[in-house]
Amino acid sequence: MRRIVPIGAALIAAAALVTFPTWSSGWESSRYATTILRDMLVLAILALSLDLLVGSAGLPSLGHAAFFGGGGYAAAIAAQRLANDDLLLGLGAAALVAAFLALVIGVFAVRAAGIFFLMLTLAFAQMVFALAFQATDITGGSNGLSGVHRPTLLGLDFNAPDALFQLVAAVFLIVVALMWRIRSSTYGRALVGLRENERRMRALGYDTTRLKLSAFVLAGAIAGVGGALSGWSLRFVSTNDVGVARSVEAFVAVLIGGTSTLLGPVVGAFVVLYLERVLPSAIPFAETVLGVVFIVFVLAARQGIVGLARTAYERVRT
Amino acid sequence: MSPEVAVLQALNGISFGALLFILAAGLSLIFGMMDVVNLAHGAFYMLGAYVTLTIVQRTGQFWPALLVAPLVVGLLGLAIEPILLRRLRGRHLDQVLLTIGVSLVIADLVGLTFGREIHSVPLPPGLDSSIAVLGGDYPVYRLFVIAFGAALAALLAVIHRRTQLGALIRAGVGDAPMLSALGVDIDRLFATTFAFGAALAGLAGVIAAPVFGIFPGMDVDALIYSLIVVVVGGLGTLSGALVGAGLVGPADTFGKVLFPEFALALIFAIMAFVLLLRPTGLLGRARIAR
Repeated sequence: MRRIVPIGAALIAAAALVTFPTWSSGWESSRYATTILRDMLVLAILALSLDLLVGSAGLPSLGHAAFFGGGGYAAAIAAQRLANDDLLLGLGAAALVAAFLALVIGVFAVRAAGIFFLMLTLAFAQMVFALAFQATDITGGSNGLSGVHRPTLLGLDFNAPDALFQLVAAVFLIVVALMWRIRSSTYGRALVGLRENERRMRALGYDTTRLKLSAFVLAGAIAGVGGALSGWSLRFVSTNDVGVARSVEAFVAVLIGGTSTLLGPVVGAFVVLYLERVLPSAIPFAETVLGVVFIVFVLAARQGIVGLARTAYERVRT
Repeated sequence: MSPEVAVLQALNGISFGALLFILAAGLSLIFGMMDVVNLAHGAFYMLGAYVTLTIVQRTGQFWPALLVAPLVVGLLGLAIEPILLRRLRGRHLDQVLLTIGVSLVIADLVGLTFGREIHSVPLPPGLDSSIAVLGGDYPVYRLFVIAFGAALAALLAVIHRRTQLGALIRAGVGDAPMLSALGVDIDRLFATTFAFGAALAGLAGVIAAPVFGIFPGMDVDALIYSLIVVVVGGLGTLSGALVGAGLVGPADTFGKVLFPEFALALIFAIMAFVLLLRPTGLLGRARIAR
């Protein structure tokens, strides 16, 4: 009984999420809400994958957009060059290319820790940005790739906005389930061990460099899948998707929401996208607000929104 | 590439290196003292350039900017250290994250105030001509940048080695808690260092403004270049910044001439190579890697 209730609640929530366009169709702004929610879910996927590094393994990566954008480009270019809009081809290309980029960068980055790791990921991600910017023939350079085809799978066409939303929501749920699974696995616990005491992990016989690299590659691949979804959503992939701003966005989302929780990065992504996309119609300086919110959380609430809520809940209960 | 072109490009490379030194010296100094990589360094540089733009637009004069911009940025640094960074002393990673927030705010406010378009300021009078170098024309301003960078390096070295402030800085870099225990006001020293490092970024912004233009996104460019310089040269020392800038400036310039497609990849390749051989940078100290 104790397991059935949360599982049942999770299933209902999942079903509610996927069918959001249907049951919200009576709203005046249903279309707009669906678009915003879709982009929130995409950013949440990026944030969840980043939290595997920042939260679980204690690796503060500030270059995660390299894999997100790399995946976005890979999916769009693979479909374009092979004249094939198959969903699995797109997702596969995105995950593979992102994983490869993460492997190349990771080999250098995971040798460092802490602040130095952060610097290296930031700098190397900028190399991916530079490549995307300069390889005009492949990536469209500063113009980006527009008119990205939305994928199909076995006769299912994800071109319609609602169908695409459902695809994004489904992938998001799979990523959440995967993260949940990783967290409770020996592998996930080994990552936490890295964060808590790397030397002890080494003494216990773990190859910590390889462990870090595997987490970096895994997180990169998932970010790449998020990038593919972003490209399909916006029908556009550009250097913005590989830029520092996107990396910072994801990092801010993870931190505001709360690191090393399943809910935190998702909540953080929603808050960040709300500030960036919904708020600017009211005030022009949304980035400043985002910066100030971030500063306040780093200074006063490092545990993030979810951490704050948990503390508050525990205080009420006792 | 003919020898003449090579010499001119070498001059370009050295002048870019001189600018990178001014930029990276502040970053390195702050890290050496406080163990904080100031990710708002690019935003400080940007602010310096936009202050220059304002001064040139209002007064038509360039030279006052050389004093005013570092002062403005330095004062901002002087405010940020005690108000924000000091609260997280000892939590170095969180301090770094804090500077991300600061850079977001500065970049956005600058963009709001000055618009998102590209601005330029003319070369200052007196330095806007060219002189003959090996039969070609070479802009005097770039020679000025080299001279300025060299003079600043010499000045910083003298301050570092010969003055009481330099002794305090060296002691703080070596062991800040011990310095504090000996009765030195470490709060003041940290605030001064942060302000001074910020002022150097602002100064780099002034020097760069007439050559590299003033535009949104310049903060990120500057930050990435200065990170590469300190990663290559080694973080935390002036000599590291000098060596890193001396390598990265010319490498980037020649890269852009010889294989424009891969220019940026070249300096990243240098960075990767140095990291493989010496993870702490060429002149870095061992404690950085922790």
